[in-house]
Amino acid sequence: MTTAAPAKLFREEAQAETIKCLSCGGPIALHSFGARQRVVCPHCGSTLAPADSGALTLLAAASRKHQPSVLPLHARGTLAGLEWEIIGICWRRCVVDGIAYPWQEFLLFNPWHGVRWLIYSNSDGHWQLGRSLDGAPEILKRRHHTVRLAKQTFEHFQGAIAVVSYVEGEFTWEVHVGDQAEINDFIAPPHGLSIEQSSGPDGVELNFTAAEHLEPAAVWRAFKQPGKPPPTRGVGALRPNPWHRTRRSLWLSCLVFLAAWWLLSARLEAGRQPVMAFHQDHISFDEPLSQEIKIGEPGVPTAIEFSLSAAPLDNAWAYADVLLVNLATQDAVGFGLEASYYHGVDGGESWSEGSTRATATIGGVDGGQYLLQITPQRGGTGSTPIDYKVELIQDVYLQRYVVLSFLVILTFPLLAWLCGWLFERRRWKNSDYSGD
Amino acid sequence: MASSTTAMQPGSSTDVSCPECGAPAPFRGTTVSLVCEYCGSTIVRTGVNLELLGKVSALLDNGSPILLGAAASFDKVPFEVVGRLQLRHGRGTWNEWFIAFADGGVGWLSDAQGSYAITRPREKSIVAGKVPPYSACVLGQPLTVQGVAYVPVERRAATYQGAEGSLPFAATTGDTFYSVDLRGHDGEFMTLDYGERGDHQQPTLYMGRAVDLIAIGLQPLRKFAGWERRA
Repeated sequence: MTTAAPAKLFREEAQAETIKCLSCGGPIALHSFGARQRVVCPHCGSTLAPADSGALTLLAAASRKHQPSVLPLHARGTLAGLEWEIIGICWRRCVVDGIAYPWQEFLLFNPWHGVRWLIYSNSDGHWQLGRSLDGAPEILKRRHHTVRLAKQTFEHFQGAIAVVSYVEGEFTWEVHVGDQAEINDFIAPPHGLSIEQSSGPDGVELNFTAAEHLEPAAVWRAFKQPGKPPPTRGVGALRPNPWHRTRRSLWLSCLVFLAAWWLLSARLEAGRQPVMAFHQDHISFDEPLSQEIKIGEPGVPTAIEFSLSAAPLDNAWAYADVLLVNLATQDAVGFGLEASYYHGVDGGESWSEGSTRATATIGGVDGGQYLLQITPQRGGTGSTPIDYKVELIQDVYLQRYVVLSFLVILTFPLLAWLCGWLFERRRWKNSDYSGD
Repeated sequence: MASSTTAMQPGSSTDVSCPECGAPAPFRGTTVSLVCEYCGSTIVRTGVNLELLGKVSALLDNGSPILLGAAASFDKVPFEVVGRLQLRHGRGTWNEWFIAFADGGVGWLSDAQGSYAITRPREKSIVAGKVPPYSACVLGQPLTVQGVAYVPVERRAATYQGAEGSLPFAATTGDTFYSVDLRGHDGEFMTLDYGERGDHQQPTLYMGRAVDLIAIGLQPLRKFAGWERRA
């Protein structure tokens, strides 16, 4: 049996090639191994397309100038462990409220893994990596403008008509300057989902793209670019909220602190034994009281609670100017206390306000001998009090410090929540929903 | 010998030769049409007769990494790539690789711009009355089949461009295939084949899901100058 060697269709290593532009004659390097529908000459912008035979033919001649993109054609980079080569560059832009928002799309190619899109936003300097979806997202009816994919919910961010403004290189679709597509972006940072609708030869075409945020420095490193990437402005659509990253651990540590705080305060409260340092009943309003008293132990600070009660107190008030003078240091603590009680009937409704007792709590009082001076006053339209009584309790449990520490513990997660909220507000400022 | 497709179905390969060049033509049980590996002629089997259609296949190198004879597993069932149907539509070409499973079944590995899916034929009755005719299929409007929502993502009339290896039908130049591709929310993939005029009221059904060539372990893959496969 004599047969020629098998043709071995495509069994040989596929080779890249360089052709001459059919319009300007400039060299065009073809690196996609045939996975192309359009080739746009980087030099002159003429469009070539494969004929039925596979050979490239001139589809539309052009004579535009080459424009530099933020990354060059044929640059290679490794992203997420896979090597990619930029085989096509497509600039697009949308116009919102009269302002153009341009971006650059880099078609990344790997012969075994297909294509990806590296997207650079000129307006804010942020980067995204996109890929075609294997599934179709679910449009959620229950909430307006929300889609769902693989158990993740994406919120609508913006919708716009994108127009192609510049192309060069090889493309797996029939790209053309001026092409329009309606793009709706949905976000769940750092992930995004875009639904792109365009009219194709067979009617409406639907393209779903999954995107993820990339740090500019990571892109620069991956493609071994010199210097630094263009600076970012503002919050990118997909940039993860840094405050959300720590959210869980912050609330968790807050819970731990609160548990510790609760145990500690319960123990503190149980350990405190408030002691009556001084009390006196039936004190006359007619003259000031002046008396030497002992508070706590010398040199040991304590918290005191001073209360004033007057009786009878009926549509009347009682007031006391209290002065505590430390006999050792002559330091004085002064405060006023007013007890008042009013009641009546107004429009058939009876009402009352105030109390026959007033209390002041003072912390950090040094123990020792004190001179207590009380200057009382009274008044009112009802029955004014006959006399009053005072009580001074030392070693009281200062609830306000406990409450304060509770607030301090809560401050951190609340602050983080606020910062996170502000971050999201800045992000959504660039969306269709900035007005709400 | 180069015929690598016989191992999957022992005994199903018949001992015939290409009527054009005399090289072995490894027809298998499911093979109706075969492109001779040696001379490129298309041979169609009708009953016990072989019919020579001549060199009608004009396969284009569209950069696919898949090779005839490559093997992998899908849902734990090993399969081998035994044929390729290359189709052309408004936006270029794509490949439908005909695959033979070790369990005796067949399927298709769809290969379009780096996006892959494996489907196997299913009973037409599953979609009978549940899907609209070709002309009434609206992209983006989900259809529910067996409790799963499928979104039509592509509706196209495609023409035969070329073939290699074995195919379960005789495809020749000028043949047109009307089909709709649908995707589920979880990677499910479905093709509704509405026939050569697009007028089938009950489309032929293929169901499966999107796959990653590397993840399913398809080997061997084509080599590309300047590129290294990484583990």
